[in-house]
Amino acid sequence: MRHDLVPGSARPSEEEQGRESAAKYRGLLEGAPDAMVVVDQSGGIVLLNLQAERQFGYHRDELVGQQVKNIIPEGFAERLIADDLRSDEDALAQQIGTGIELTGQRKDGSQFPIEIMLSPLESADGILVTAAIRDISVRKAAERHLTQMVAELNRSNEELGQFAYMASHDLQEPLRMVASYTQLLSRRYTGKLDSDADEFIAFAVDGASRMQLLIQDLLAYSRVGTKGEDPVATSSELALQQAVDDLGGAIEEAGAVVTDDPLPTVIADKIQLVQLFQNLVGNAIKYQASGTPRVHVSAAEDPSTKRWRFTVEDNGLGIEPQYFERIIGMFQRLHKRDEFAGTGIGLAVCKKIVERHGGHISVASRLGHRSSFYFDLAGRRVEA
Amino acid sequence: MTPMGDKGAHINVLLVEDDPGDVRLTREAFRDADISIRLHVASDGVEAMAFLKDQGEHALALRPDLILLDLNLPRMNGREVLASIKEDALLKTIPTVILTTSKAEADILNSYELRANSYLSKPVLLEDFYILIESVNDFWLTKAQLPQQRPNQ
Repeated sequence: MRHDLVPGSARPSEEEQGRESAAKYRGLLEGAPDAMVVVDQSGGIVLLNLQAERQFGYHRDELVGQQVKNIIPEGFAERLIADDLRSDEDALAQQIGTGIELTGQRKDGSQFPIEIMLSPLESADGILVTAAIRDISVRKAAERHLTQMVAELNRSNEELGQFAYMASHDLQEPLRMVASYTQLLSRRYTGKLDSDADEFIAFAVDGASRMQLLIQDLLAYSRVGTKGEDPVATSSELALQQAVDDLGGAIEEAGAVVTDDPLPTVIADKIQLVQLFQNLVGNAIKYQASGTPRVHVSAAEDPSTKRWRFTVEDNGLGIEPQYFERIIGMFQRLHKRDEFAGTGIGLAVCKKIVERHGGHISVASRLGHRSSFYFDLAGRRVEA
Repeated sequence: MTPMGDKGAHINVLLVEDDPGDVRLTREAFRDADISIRLHVASDGVEAMAFLKDQGEHALALRPDLILLDLNLPRMNGREVLASIKEDALLKTIPTVILTTSKAEADILNSYELRANSYLSKPVLLEDFYILIESVNDFWLTKAQLPQQRPNQ
């Protein structure tokens, strides 16, 4: 077994000193948790520790003096040669602390993924390179597994989204028949049978109509994920205007007043932004006790994130704090059907839209006075 | 059925629709709109073309004033029927209106490319369906001037 750090390099006058530091260095190498290999500038292996022997399946005598290419076929030796073109110190300093992922090769020819960390070592023969080599097979396998799982999850999510969309879409047709014919019964026979028949028909008509609304809302919800456009620079002012136009009937009926501050250009899917305003302003008008419903939309830029925070504020019924989180979830309703009709999907659609745009939706309210819904969207990109 | 003798006084509509529920609804809605309209039904594309071609061969036979065409049909779908109608010298002048549940942009665009005269999607509510059929009657069968003569071959 060799004990010299650099065989035949120590000059007699420094022999004692060299031997001492070589022993110290060997101790350090053997104490390291990783495989360690010391290489000279021409790619020759000068020294290695026990972990390196085990990892690569060689006896150290078989490796010392051999080229490092034998155990790390690519990426290591080339690096040393390329670095020869620059000043040694500079090149090595650049590599300190950087882990490079390469492939290691055992004596039996089998390969395994490694991560190496290089550091320079001054010696009597010039600069040597110490490589700490870690077998990352387990990490790599875990990464691969994780990537597969994520891909699998994405695929199954997409499938589920498609399924929900197709299911609600295909349910619409038979339901349209049920609804149409119960409505036709009602149209033609109300008052002509007896009071029981009138009542039964009315319940059937009501049930079918509610299911139609439910399916329409479910479709709208699943469309957010499956039919969205890429977000682009969009005027939120125009989007709100269109939402208000679409809500025309409801606004007029309620005698509501919708106002807004100047609103910014944001990065959004325009159709979804209109839908978001439509749902939030629509809710604000709907959940009212008496008096004139007032809705105000404003936006302020967060200087740290450069995102716009929108507020849709109303003077309506308000919401008890314990329900803030819950109402944004799917199918959550706070009112009996005979108070306010609804499917409980509207705010879930809002949440999905906002989250698809990388934002967050929240609510604050004073019961009996007002509710404010907040959401944030990215502002216009400055760089192209 | 209306007696054949006074067919000249009637407006004839060909409905191409495979769902019996929709056929009946359309019949009811037309009855509400104008009792004198005669609604002929073909339940798929092949039947529709047979009906129309038959009209072509027998010069005295009935020629619809309007065709209401569903897109999703068995055997020969609505797109193919539409293309055949609009490529046929005798049939192409008959107003052909798409009446379907699809609201897909691709279906709308494709139908107009194939020279559909208009594209209507079936409303979800019965009330709206009645209003739609009433406006079809009002526009295509009452207000619009349609050619009385078959085009010359």
